[in-house]
Amino acid sequence: MQIQINNLKKCFGEKVAVNIDSYTIHSGEMLGLVGNNGAGKSTLFRLMLDLIKADNGDVHMAGNFQETDVDVNVAETEQWKDWTGAYIDESFLIDYLTPDEYFQFIARISGISSDDLKTFLDRFSHFMADEVIGQKKLIRNLSAGNKQKVGIIAAMLLRPQVLILDEPFNFLDPSSQSAIKHLLTKYNQETGATILISSHNLQHTVDICPRIALLEHGIIIRDIDNRDGQAQTELEDYFQITD
Amino acid sequence: MQSTGIPERNRLTQSLLGGKVQVGLWQLYKILKKNEDLKARRHPMFEKNRFMKFLAWFLIIYYAAILLLMGVMMPTAMKGAYNGVAAFHVLDGGLIYFILTDFWLRFVLQETPAQQAKPYSLLPIRRSFLMNVYLAHAGFSLGNMFWAFFLVPFGAIAIWPLMGFWAFLSWLIGWWLLFIANGYAYLFVRALCMKHIAWALLPAAIHAGLLALMFVPEKNLLDMPCTEFMYAFAKIQLWPYLVAFALITFFYLINFWLQTKMVYNEVAQKEEVEMKHTTQMNFLNRYGAMGEYLKMEIKLRMRNKQVRMGFIIALCAMLFFSAMLYFTDVYDGTFMKSFICLYDYVLLGVMTLPTIMCYEGNYIDGLMSRRQSIYDLLRAKFYFNSISILIPLLFILPLVFIDKISLWMNLGYLFFTAGVLYPCFFQMAVYNKDTLPLNQKITAKQANTMQQIVTLVAMFLPILIEKIAILILGNPGGYFALIAMGLVGLATHKIWLRNIYTRMMQRRYVNMEGFRATRNF
Repeated sequence: MQIQINNLKKCFGEKVAVNIDSYTIHSGEMLGLVGNNGAGKSTLFRLMLDLIKADNGDVHMAGNFQETDVDVNVAETEQWKDWTGAYIDESFLIDYLTPDEYFQFIARISGISSDDLKTFLDRFSHFMADEVIGQKKLIRNLSAGNKQKVGIIAAMLLRPQVLILDEPFNFLDPSSQSAIKHLLTKYNQETGATILISSHNLQHTVDICPRIALLEHGIIIRDIDNRDGQAQTELEDYFQITD
Repeated sequence: MQSTGIPERNRLTQSLLGGKVQVGLWQLYKILKKNEDLKARRHPMFEKNRFMKFLAWFLIIYYAAILLLMGVMMPTAMKGAYNGVAAFHVLDGGLIYFILTDFWLRFVLQETPAQQAKPYSLLPIRRSFLMNVYLAHAGFSLGNMFWAFFLVPFGAIAIWPLMGFWAFLSWLIGWWLLFIANGYAYLFVRALCMKHIAWALLPAAIHAGLLALMFVPEKNLLDMPCTEFMYAFAKIQLWPYLVAFALITFFYLINFWLQTKMVYNEVAQKEEVEMKHTTQMNFLNRYGAMGEYLKMEIKLRMRNKQVRMGFIIALCAMLFFSAMLYFTDVYDGTFMKSFICLYDYVLLGVMTLPTIMCYEGNYIDGLMSRRQSIYDLLRAKFYFNSISILIPLLFILPLVFIDKISLWMNLGYLFFTAGVLYPCFFQMAVYNKDTLPLNQKITAKQANTMQQIVTLVAMFLPILIEKIAILILGNPGGYFALIAMGLVGLATHKIWLRNIYTRMMQRRYVNMEGFRATRNF
C-alpha cells in the first residue's frame, strides 16, 4: 500500500508541527522517522491515522486490497482502517481488559477466528516472554514494557498492509528490542506491508529501515537512502552524537 | 514570613524546591487555590460549563427565592400554632429534620471536591497541609450557608424583635456550625461509601435511630433537647458552641484520617494486581463483534471503581425507593408514584449515559483507528442499557401486584425510558469530549455541569410529558402514548444511532482533542 502526503500542514497556535509539501512512501517500504523532541513525528502519525485534523493538505493510501484497487483520502473514509494497524501510545489500549481479552476483542471485531488468533500469538511467544498471555492481570497493571508489547501485537493482529508504530522500542528490554526488530523485518518481508516506525534509537532505526526520513520542525529535511546502512554517520552528524 | 530580603518569588521557589526559606501557609494556600482556578479556567469544557453554570445558578436562585419566601412566611404561620410557643422554638424543635434533609440532599446536590494530591505528591509540601486545605474548602463552602436563605429572614422576624440582634446572630451562627459539622459527616460517609457502598447503611441506621426517638415513644424525645440546644445559642451561652465545635473537630479529624489514607492509597495505586478469576462470558460469542462490545460494556462496569460505584448506587436507590413505596404510605401521592416509577427506570441510564463516551475517552484513539467501532460500541451500549431496564422492572412488578403502580404506568415508563429518554441521553455522545477516569474514586473529577443539567431534566421532564399525555388522552390512554413513543424509538434505534455516529464522526477532531486534553486533567 502506497502512502502519499500532499501539502500536509498542521499548526498548534504559532508553532508549525508538520509541514510537508509532498512525500511518497512506496508500497512495501519500511520507513524510519527520526527527529528531536517536538520535530512532529507523532503528529505526522496522528495525521496519517486521521486522529487530528490537518490545517491543510491530505494523506492518501493507494494500492490493492482484497483484489481491488483502492485510493483513499484517510480523512474522507474509514476504509483504510481495514488494512492499517497502529500503536501510538496507551490510549490505544483498553486497560481494564487482560491482554488475552484484548487480543480476543480485536480478533473477533476483525473477523479473525480463535484458531488463527492462537497461531498468530504463538509467533510472538518469544517476544512476550511468558509475561503477557495467561497472566490474569489487567493491562493497566502491566509494566510499561509489557503494555508496549500488547499494543504492538494488537496493531499487527489484523495483518495490516500499513503498520504504523510510534517509538516501538520504548520501555522494552534489550531482548525484546531485538525481538521486535526481527519480527518487524520478517513481517515486512513476508507480507510486503508498508511499515512506518518513529524512534529516538538511531541504531535500531538504521538496522531495520532501508529508508529514513529526518524531521525537523515538522519538515522532512533529509530523505536518507539506508539500503546499505550508510545513514548511521549522517544521522550521528545531525544529532551531534560524535565529536 | 521571614524577612530575608529575597524577592518574594524567589522565596516561594526556594520553599517549593526544598530550600531553607519557608513559605507561609497562607501563601501556599493561595498558590494551591490559584492552581485550582487555572485548572478550571483552562479546562476544555470551560466555555460550555460556563453556560451550564449560568443555568445552574438560575436554579439555585429559584430555590433560594422559595426558601426566602418560606423564611418570611413561616414565623407568622408558626406563631401561636403550638399553644403560644415562640415560632423559633417550634423551628428549633425540628432541628433533626433539617440535619437529615441537609445530609441526604448533599448526595444529590453537593459536588465532592476532587482531591488534588497527585500533582503535589513529590513536592516538598506536607501531605497534611494539602488535606487541611481540602477540608477547609469543604468547611467554608458556600453550600453550608444555603439554608441561610431561609434562616436569616426567619430569625430576623422571629428572634431579633424578641431577643435582639446578637441573639439572632448567635442563633444563625449556631445553625451554620451544625451544617458545617453535617457537611463533614457527609464527606466522611461519602468517602466510606467509595470503599464499599454498604457504608451508606451507617448514616441510614443512625438517622433511623434518631427518627425512632422522635416517633416511636409517645412523646418526641428529641424535640425539647433540640429546642433547648438552639435556644442556648440564641442566649449566647458557651456550651452549645463547645458542642458544635466538638462535633466539627470530631468529623474533621476522622475525615482527615480516612481521606489521607484513601487518597494516598489511590495515588500509590495500591490495588490488587492479580485477578482471582476472569469472566469469559462465552454466551455472548454467538453475537460476533456485537457480543464483544457487549462484553466490554459489562467489564467496563465490573472492573472500574468509578463506573461500578454508579451502578451500585443506582441499584440501592431503586431498591430503597421501591421498598419505601411498597412498605409505607409515605409516597402514596400521585406525583410521588409517578416519580418513583420513572426514577427506578431512568436511574441506571442517568448514572452512565449523560457521560456517555467519557470513559471511552481513555482509549478513544484505539477505537477511532478501527472501522465502525464507535457505531458498534453505541449499539452495544444501547442494547446493554435496554436489557438492564429489566432490573427496575423486577423492583416495580411487586408494586404493580399490590396496585400501588398501575401496569400501564409501569409499561409506559419502561418503554418511554428505553425508546425516548435513552435516545436523548445518547445525543450526549456527539458532544461529550471530557475524559473521565475509570478507576479513581477520591481523586477523580465529577461529571460536568452540562451533564448534571441533562440528568436533572431527565428526572422531571418525563413526568411533565406523562401529565400532559394523560390530560389529553386520559388514563390509560396517556400511557399508551408513552408506550407508542417508546416503541417507535426502539424500532428505529439503528437509524438514530447511525445519525448520532455520523454527527459524532463529523465532530471527531474536536472531541478527540478534548478527550486527549482532559485524559490526565
